[in-house]
Amino acid sequence: MFQRHTRFQFRIFRLLLIGGIGLVFSSDLAGQEPSYDNSVVMIRGVSQGYDYSTPWKKRSPSRGSGTGFIIAGDRILTNAHNVSNNQYVEVRKQNSAQRYPAEIAYVGHDCDLAILTVPNSDFFADMTPLELGGIPEVNTTVYTYGFPVGGQLISVTKGVVSRVQMDLYSHTGADGHLVVQTDAAINPGNSGGPVIQDGKVVGVAFQGLRAAEGIGYMIPTTVIKHFLKDIEDDTYDQYGSLGFSYYEGLHNTAYKEYLKVPQDQQGVIVLKTLMNSSAEKVLQPGDVVTHFDDYDIDNDGMVRIYGRRLDMSEVIEQKQIGEFLELTFYRDGERHREKLPIALNRPVLDYSLQFDVAPRYIVVAGLTFTPLSRNFLQTWGPSWISSIPHTLRYLFNSSSELNQARERREYVVLSEIMSDQVNAYADDFENLPVETINGVTIYRLEDIPAAWDKVQGGYCVLEFMGSKRPLILDAQLAQDRQQAILNQYQISSDRRLEN
Amino acid sequence: MTRNRIILLAAIFTFTFSFSFSFSLPTCAQAPAEDPVSEAMKQSLVFLEIAAYPYDHYRPWKRMDVIQRTACGNAVGPYEVITTASRVTDAAFIRARRFGQNEYINAQIQVVDYDSNLCLLQLDRNSMTKPLQPLEFSETYQKGAQVDYYWLSSIGRMQSGRGYIEDHKVLKSTLSHAHFLNYLIGNISQSASSAQVFFMEGKPIGIAASSSKTNKTARVIPAERIRHFLEDVAEGDYQGFPAFGFDTNELLDPTLRKYLNMPPEMQQGAYVREVHTLGTGSEELKSGDVILAIEGAQLDAHGRYIDPKFGQIGFPHLISRRKIGESLQFEIWRDGKKETLAVKTQNFAAHEMLIPYYEFDRQPKYLVTAGFVLQRLTRPYLMKWGSDWQGKVDPHIYHYLQQMSYKPSEQRKEIVILSHVNPADINLGYHSMRQEIVKTVNGKTIASIQDIADALKLNPDSRYDVIEFEHSNPTVVIDRSQLAQADALISQRYGIEKLVNIQ
Repeated sequence: MFQRHTRFQFRIFRLLLIGGIGLVFSSDLAGQEPSYDNSVVMIRGVSQGYDYSTPWKKRSPSRGSGTGFIIAGDRILTNAHNVSNNQYVEVRKQNSAQRYPAEIAYVGHDCDLAILTVPNSDFFADMTPLELGGIPEVNTTVYTYGFPVGGQLISVTKGVVSRVQMDLYSHTGADGHLVVQTDAAINPGNSGGPVIQDGKVVGVAFQGLRAAEGIGYMIPTTVIKHFLKDIEDDTYDQYGSLGFSYYEGLHNTAYKEYLKVPQDQQGVIVLKTLMNSSAEKVLQPGDVVTHFDDYDIDNDGMVRIYGRRLDMSEVIEQKQIGEFLELTFYRDGERHREKLPIALNRPVLDYSLQFDVAPRYIVVAGLTFTPLSRNFLQTWGPSWISSIPHTLRYLFNSSSELNQARERREYVVLSEIMSDQVNAYADDFENLPVETINGVTIYRLEDIPAAWDKVQGGYCVLEFMGSKRPLILDAQLAQDRQQAILNQYQISSDRRLEN
Repeated sequence: MTRNRIILLAAIFTFTFSFSFSFSLPTCAQAPAEDPVSEAMKQSLVFLEIAAYPYDHYRPWKRMDVIQRTACGNAVGPYEVITTASRVTDAAFIRARRFGQNEYINAQIQVVDYDSNLCLLQLDRNSMTKPLQPLEFSETYQKGAQVDYYWLSSIGRMQSGRGYIEDHKVLKSTLSHAHFLNYLIGNISQSASSAQVFFMEGKPIGIAASSSKTNKTARVIPAERIRHFLEDVAEGDYQGFPAFGFDTNELLDPTLRKYLNMPPEMQQGAYVREVHTLGTGSEELKSGDVILAIEGAQLDAHGRYIDPKFGQIGFPHLISRRKIGESLQFEIWRDGKKETLAVKTQNFAAHEMLIPYYEFDRQPKYLVTAGFVLQRLTRPYLMKWGSDWQGKVDPHIYHYLQQMSYKPSEQRKEIVILSHVNPADINLGYHSMRQEIVKTVNGKTIASIQDIADALKLNPDSRYDVIEFEHSNPTVVIDRSQLAQADALISQRYGIEKLVNIQ
């Protein structure tokens, strides 16, 4: 499944640690639950991402702090967002002044989890790893440990589990997995801390709801275990999917009859398969998917799993990329069963934010080309979704509908013009996706150098999506000015084609 | 808002004048001398009250609340007054009051043109004791000149304001897609947005189209446009003003000029970016053309020409000043050489556009079946999303608006959308669908809302009506055996008196 774009209502707790002294709650509650001073650590880091308009530059660094905890194998588990785009990470213990430089061993941005290691082996000597438990029952008590704003010591808050559901992970802004909701206070700095019940970790505190009070979220152990299993082969492959979108429309009996599905059968209706996805060769619009493996899918797209009624994608969430899922579906009144591989299956314009990768770019004739990404779009600021240019918004919302080219890997946008005589009349084209250069369709950034060389009678002819006229550049002048522009704007390399 | 303001001002300043002797105070008994124009205007201006009753574009079977507007009516005949079209949109009832007469006078719209923003009203002569004194508009123009403007207030007092002519510009109308020459008045002493008449050197030169409180500026419709309108009305069978049917870009880039093989000494010309299927030039021009001159007037790289009266102004004035059906000589640069085209002036009504720019005085086209509200996509519909609607509406729909509005074709005369669903048993499972573009109904490709009405009669033996949409969407399947009963129920529950309006 790929998600439709929805409004993003979460915020990430990764604010700067506030200096000064605040209230510390740790000692009061320590009597009810054992102290976890030897398991919970403070993580401080310096984060510095790239500027996606002028991708050879980095943005200003920012400091942040969060929480992590020790798990088996001398590892620290924390949130990915605590260590994203990090240039430096250190770990501190509750009862020691020593700072331990740490290394990021694995990071899973789509599930907001990361594993840190500490090169100084003394670090783990007096530390106790925590064990992972299961999914906590609703209306049971949990304790959150961490270093939230307002103090330097471990804080404990107590809360009740209020909901278990599929929800958005705000770190990438687009990935959805299971979350456990609790009313235990989860504040900036708590991120990455353990949520404990009966002495075992039942979740990693990671985000809260901005508009509400007493709604905090933790990453449940199903997701943690998926992450830990994924990295057993030393690489993190991410969560996979099948690559189709569906509609919960079988509530309508006429629609059900029309699709020739037995009246007592429940399921969901396939709307579209993603180009180049696992589902593309098997499913088609109008198919009715009734089972994932042996789980019955109901008309709301839910299954009974872990004794709960959860979104059907939870069946896929249990699997790793490369594993298979057995799919049952109806087409023209006939029941089919097919095995499908779980794969990444991302739309051509990914909804997710990227971290820890240097954005690719090419600067030619002062025109900066970079792949169109969520990171680039978010340079428009907090209300980017309604303020970005229409053409970009249309692509972001509908790339999988609009892209007809199987070979397309990405859209490439003219992100910034480094003003010079060669591009003096190009301003209208800024922020538009490039369609062709000298007649060659641009399916990926790497297509640009070859296309650029196909000069047409002394001109470079660029066509852009959303523009009805071409941009014409003097090819000789472009070549003559290239080095001067790079010098003038201190661009050390005209391109970065690999992350 | 305007009305309240006028009443307020009138209430403060009213004591001295002749309107009501019973209220005059002894301390104000000595009336100052009247401005002669102000005195003359008593026989030429009327105060208009308009009750507008627009349709609800989101629930087009319904009307919105009645809106009360006021405007200035300016005599152009003994019983005819001219005002701005923007004041009379969706008018249900219009009445007028003239200076010194207590009784209201009923007014009827004779011609309204939302593009030129002008409206001619016919007053009921039986309610008038004597005819009005028509204004004689003057086309003289002097940048920087002082102007005075006049109107009759809600309580029958002649009022005036003052400003000066700052500039003149070809601007897009606030009401429609059309572009016209306007006078821009600066430093106005009072707001002027409801057809107040402007005088320069004692002669009327135009009427107010709109004004900005913050900038203290007003846009004025020049006498020239008023004359064109009245001449056209007088000829009978009102034709309106020509509109251009293409978009241009400035052509400053010397590389682009070279690429187009234009000789270096040829510095003029505007680049035709896109040609529409409606309007002047839509049949003759091609995208990539460069317009060098229209009727001998050379266009500069910004698309401006030197007008003998106004100096440098935008080329649309060369078109909109003409009558419909005239032939204009376009000198263009195409495929590396000069060509001359005979371009026939034409205009188009908003409802001819693929997505109408405005929709006044008519009920939006819609069809409700099984609770599915199918309606013609219009710009006013999208504006229901409020300020910043461009960033809020579905990008696929906005794409049509931005790229295709002026390009209707036989294959696509209208865009029909499923606006929303009025929930009922028959449409269970579809309740959350909204703003999707209809592609086919019962297998028939939909080019207009009329096609939907026709398509619903297709496949008489089928048990279902089937609606398909653009992009990935569920197929709507309607059980025909339940339809009549469901429609009756939905019509009654949601208060939809008329399920279909496709005119």
